[in-house]
Amino acid sequence: MATTTTEIPRKFHQAVEKWRDTYLPDFAYLMENWDRYFPRDDKFRLCAYRECGMPCSIECGEDQGKPKYTRACDMKPEAAHHLVSAIRAQASTEFGSIQQHQLTLARAQDEEEQAMVLRMMAEELRHGYQMLHLLTDDDWQPITGQTQEQTVEEILSMKTGSHVLGAFNIDFESFVDNIVFCALIDRVGKYQLTLQKVSAYSPMADSMPQMLREEAFHLATGVVPLRRWVVKAAAGSPMITMEVIQKHLNKWVPRAYEMFGDERGGATNVKWGLKPMKNAESQDQYAKECAKVVRDLNMRYLRARLPELTLAEAEEGLAALERDRGTFRGVKFDDLLRLPHREYGRRRGVPAFRWIGVDGETFESVEAYLSHLTRTLPDGYRATRDFQDFVDNLRAVARGEKTADEAQKAMPQLRRVGGVCPCSKSVRWVADEAIELPSSAVGA
Amino acid sequence: MPRRGAPLSAEAIQVRSLTELDLDGIVRIGEKTRNRYEPDLWEGRVTYYLRRAPEGSLVAEVDGEVAGFMLGDVRSGEFGIEEQCGWIEVMGVDPEFAGRGVGRALAEEMLRRYAARGVRKVRTMVDSSMPEVEAFFTRLGFAADTLRSYRMDLDMSPVPGRD
Repeated sequence: MATTTTEIPRKFHQAVEKWRDTYLPDFAYLMENWDRYFPRDDKFRLCAYRECGMPCSIECGEDQGKPKYTRACDMKPEAAHHLVSAIRAQASTEFGSIQQHQLTLARAQDEEEQAMVLRMMAEELRHGYQMLHLLTDDDWQPITGQTQEQTVEEILSMKTGSHVLGAFNIDFESFVDNIVFCALIDRVGKYQLTLQKVSAYSPMADSMPQMLREEAFHLATGVVPLRRWVVKAAAGSPMITMEVIQKHLNKWVPRAYEMFGDERGGATNVKWGLKPMKNAESQDQYAKECAKVVRDLNMRYLRARLPELTLAEAEEGLAALERDRGTFRGVKFDDLLRLPHREYGRRRGVPAFRWIGVDGETFESVEAYLSHLTRTLPDGYRATRDFQDFVDNLRAVARGEKTADEAQKAMPQLRRVGGVCPCSKSVRWVADEAIELPSSAVGA
Repeated sequence: MPRRGAPLSAEAIQVRSLTELDLDGIVRIGEKTRNRYEPDLWEGRVTYYLRRAPEGSLVAEVDGEVAGFMLGDVRSGEFGIEEQCGWIEVMGVDPEFAGRGVGRALAEEMLRRYAARGVRKVRTMVDSSMPEVEAFFTRLGFAADTLRSYRMDLDMSPVPGRD
């Protein structure tokens, strides 16, 4: 596990620190209290890591077995263009997630959970820094037409609403979002990092192992609090209920599926050796993993509700609930969590704008489907512009005014538009251009 | 008594790095081996080891189920040991898989990973009331160290003259 560390050029490093001071104002608190929350752990350092001893030959695709590329200029122009889009999108998600987490970080009810999220945010900053390292350690100008300064400025100026991927353009409403996001959206990130670990561009592949080590903790930052919350819910806590958790799963799971890219895509990445798996295959594995998360949470809930059960009785009870969808010693199937259907609430990919419910049920009319969405999504989220645009496009597709493909390209983006007034860095929704997603997306 | 089967082939035991998804499997093994359901304890421990170095702790899967785990860490500066030292701190094997090579597969992979990290010494502590664990580590090549565990039980009875 030998790694090398490096910093990006001073002016860019300082730009990231300035960004950190703006969007991660609790960073100083984290550093001051590091030993209190994370005794024995090496202190956080803003730097780029490269793993030593990684494979030197391309591991998949049409050039499998040939030496990996160390410079973008040696790659096929199309492949290099594809790669730089992915790096840029990855950087966008890393910085974007910090902006989202910061919104509700202070609303945590538990100090330990808050500290875990704060550390995770610092590590996401480092992941964004790692991507900037890739963009500033090589000459991408022949491919992007941008100078390094322009590229870094473009990435660091993105805000919630202007990031590359939809999941990073949705404002958090409560600390439940912080935790569910870690458990679900960071999990997509883990997949993308794992896939990119075989990248034919060796600086990318070498960047992944340390990011994956840190991502493992980020997933625990989501899953462990969720496990504790379902116990509180089982005890009848007024602070958290299974219904609230379920509604947040419904909010984020569709966005997570979409982060893998269109189910029909991903072959180009495989062909060029940038990733070993197509989008649908990765999405399938992700869905299985999420199903395990949900089942484990249900087991934790069931045992908290019925502490007298033995392990064997609990396993039999949960299996019976899943099989019969009935009641087991007073616990109803509807009390448990469930993973939303793959086609529920989708706005991108093959199932975009279909009327599919949480359990895979279908609806006769768009209004009936909207009524279902009203019941199954968090109240706060339904009041957002993001949801309104989804509803508008859903209705437009139902009326035949747009195809589903047209509608998914027309989802507007939130932009902050400057003006003459000093306070005019306001949020406006702009629908004047279609959003172009990379054929295979990335995640935090 | 749990049924003990034949030793498993190396291919049947998949050893990999610990993840947060292993929590339920570890809690289950803990419950089977200690006769206590302690999810809070294991959630805290797994979070700690994931935070420290997820590749430093392992689980063994058989047919997709967690059959054993081994949690460890590389540290220095403790008990006067200044060199980087690998510690095997917690391990557990599902009783259904006891004696079938799961523990050995975990330990061999752990030692291989420690060696790859440049660690020259690996330590663990074994309760002498558990001879089977002692025998397990002896078979792996561990030998008694000069470092010994000492214990003192504090008298918790009220001190006269104090509240």
